[in-house]
Amino acid sequence: MVPTIILAVCVMLALASVFAVLLGWANVRWHVDVPEKLQQLTDAMPGVNCGGCGFIGCNEYAEAVFHDGAPPDKCPVGGSAVAERIAEIMGIEHTAGAPLRPVVLCGADFDARLKRAEYRGEPTCAAAVMVAGIQGCTYGCLGLGDCVVVCKFDAIHIVNGLAVVDYEKCVGCGACVRACPRNIIQMVPFHADAMTVVACSNLDPGKVVRGVCTVGCIGCGICAKLDDIFTIADNNASIDYDRYQADTDLSAAIEKCPRKIIRVARASRP
Amino acid sequence: MTVADTIKIPGRRSFARGIHPDDKKTLCSGSPAEILPTPQSVLIPLSQHIGAPCKAAVKPRTDVAVGDVVGDSEAFVSAPVHASVAGTTAAATVVTLPNGQHVGAIPITTAEEQPLTGRALWDDIYGGDWSIDAIDSFEPKRIAEAVRAAGLVGMGGATFPTHVKLARNPDKPIDTLLINGCECEPYLTSDHRLMLEAPKAIIAGAILAARAAGAERIIIAIEDNKPDAIEKMQSAAGGTGVDVVGVHTLYPMGGEKQLIVAVMAREVPTGGLPLDVGVVVVNVATAAAVARAVMREKPLTHRIISVTGEGIATPKNILAPVGASYADLIEFCGGLTDQASRVISGGPMMGFTLGDLETPVTKGTSGVVVLTEAQTRKADETACVRCGRCVEVCPLGLVPTRIALAARNNDWEMARRYYITACCECGCCAYVCPAEIPLVQLIRAGKAGMPRD
Repeated sequence: MVPTIILAVCVMLALASVFAVLLGWANVRWHVDVPEKLQQLTDAMPGVNCGGCGFIGCNEYAEAVFHDGAPPDKCPVGGSAVAERIAEIMGIEHTAGAPLRPVVLCGADFDARLKRAEYRGEPTCAAAVMVAGIQGCTYGCLGLGDCVVVCKFDAIHIVNGLAVVDYEKCVGCGACVRACPRNIIQMVPFHADAMTVVACSNLDPGKVVRGVCTVGCIGCGICAKLDDIFTIADNNASIDYDRYQADTDLSAAIEKCPRKIIRVARASRP
Repeated sequence: MTVADTIKIPGRRSFARGIHPDDKKTLCSGSPAEILPTPQSVLIPLSQHIGAPCKAAVKPRTDVAVGDVVGDSEAFVSAPVHASVAGTTAAATVVTLPNGQHVGAIPITTAEEQPLTGRALWDDIYGGDWSIDAIDSFEPKRIAEAVRAAGLVGMGGATFPTHVKLARNPDKPIDTLLINGCECEPYLTSDHRLMLEAPKAIIAGAILAARAAGAERIIIAIEDNKPDAIEKMQSAAGGTGVDVVGVHTLYPMGGEKQLIVAVMAREVPTGGLPLDVGVVVVNVATAAAVARAVMREKPLTHRIISVTGEGIATPKNILAPVGASYADLIEFCGGLTDQASRVISGGPMMGFTLGDLETPVTKGTSGVVVLTEAQTRKADETACVRCGRCVEVCPLGLVPTRIALAARNNDWEMARRYYITACCECGCCAYVCPAEIPLVQLIRAGKAGMPRD
């Protein structure tokens, strides 16, 4: 009598060989021709399927590049390395631009926000944005973390009630920008490792801003007088990033801002 | 039952489902309306209605009289706003209203000399003669224009511009004007007091509104928990051809879709308006304001507001100018008690919790309810147990749990399939939910956040 265990092993091996032959035959019989270039493109993608390129996943983007001539620099995860590889495979020119990274245009953590009230409802920004009086400022970060939930790279966190981007991890897919119901996250071309940002979105008159926040922009215009890269519109300062150079130095404005709301976002370049 | 039951109406005086919350009306239904002393300053929001916001029509540091236009708009679906006190304007600012709207506002510092105060103000607004003898001399078009000029909006809380409702549409003729005196929200008694204290003004306004809209029949519907109001309105309506009916006390009877079913036995189609079934519904306070706008050519500057709840020292009904702050009203009622925990603008079912008591009251503010800590305590949310209570109470026959949870999970296809946009946000489902799921908030957020098709 053969031991049962040996019998079992033999049966499994026999079955495995039968299926191996079957699968091998099926692979040849129903082979789908993938163009070599498309296969190379697919291999060149990072494969995280974040959707940052605007297509459903990496494969969709590869096909869009191959069939419809989509631009090579759409992949935020791979950055310029993947863009160059795609351009090389497709035999097209690619000039590297500055990588886009999100900046949170609110600089007020819980301690800086005034007129805060207890909120007991659904703990998402999308629900809370419809409720008046959670905090005095109707423009600033709600701190409930809709952006944190959608980030696939663990690159944005709520720190004392304010969304803070972790640029070490951020790939610039833009999911947080789309998730924010207050539209205070903006994609900015990072021409330098340290980018200057006006971290306030409040469009109300200065007197009102002072009543709801200890750091909000009051539209005083001191920064605009120091450097014409700043513009004041609707009581709020903003920076013209098209004119921002790697060597742009705005430290004078940072120092002179009476509300200390011109801040520096420090990124590591990919 | 009341005499009203002898009047023939097609409806069964009730609608399917709904809830019976403790109405708590006795807290201040017995207090006659008092007149708020003119506050030091008022803040007039430039958008107190659904539709296009107004643009400021006055410069800073201008003297204004009561009733002067301070904001207006070119748009059809909009309503001008007026100064509610005599005084001097200051630089325009912004204010966040309890419903979350962030709008411009004109502050007015009150002058020492006010033309009318105390009882004289009441007499000017609701008192005096509301004789309907000369009512035929008002042309429908002129009525609608006067209503627009007076800045009238639905004073039941929805704040839809009244002149839009009353504008005649040749494709959709109106046969019935329903005057809504249900006041189904718990606690609130402002409409109740108005019906007791100014019934003639309501009748005159109802007849004028019906002329404007081309309605032949006028029915005033009042919940049967207010028998004194039904009686008073009946005696005022005697000989005018206006019918007064009592309807069952059932929340949300004051919702126009529910009221039309209860009185007219007509169902407003999903996504449709009462107009589609030949009915226009106007709140009693709006009707009284129509009479004042047309017969006295005075704009909407004051309204009756119930300040009530267990958290208020002496609950009162107050005639207050638009733009007075909630703090002014609460102070006039002796302030908050020690147990007070939440101040709600509107009723407890559909109102909004206030974050800042310095917010001004608007044309649509029917009440302020202050609840205690014990009343607002909330257990932790648990999973839906599929008990179906929300389905049993939804007056529109929806499945709230499905819609709310689909909205929470961004499943818009499911939410649409279950008619998320049909929800009227009455709050019955959240009221009965044993799992404490914030159903209405989820649905509201879902409606705002779902992609447009």
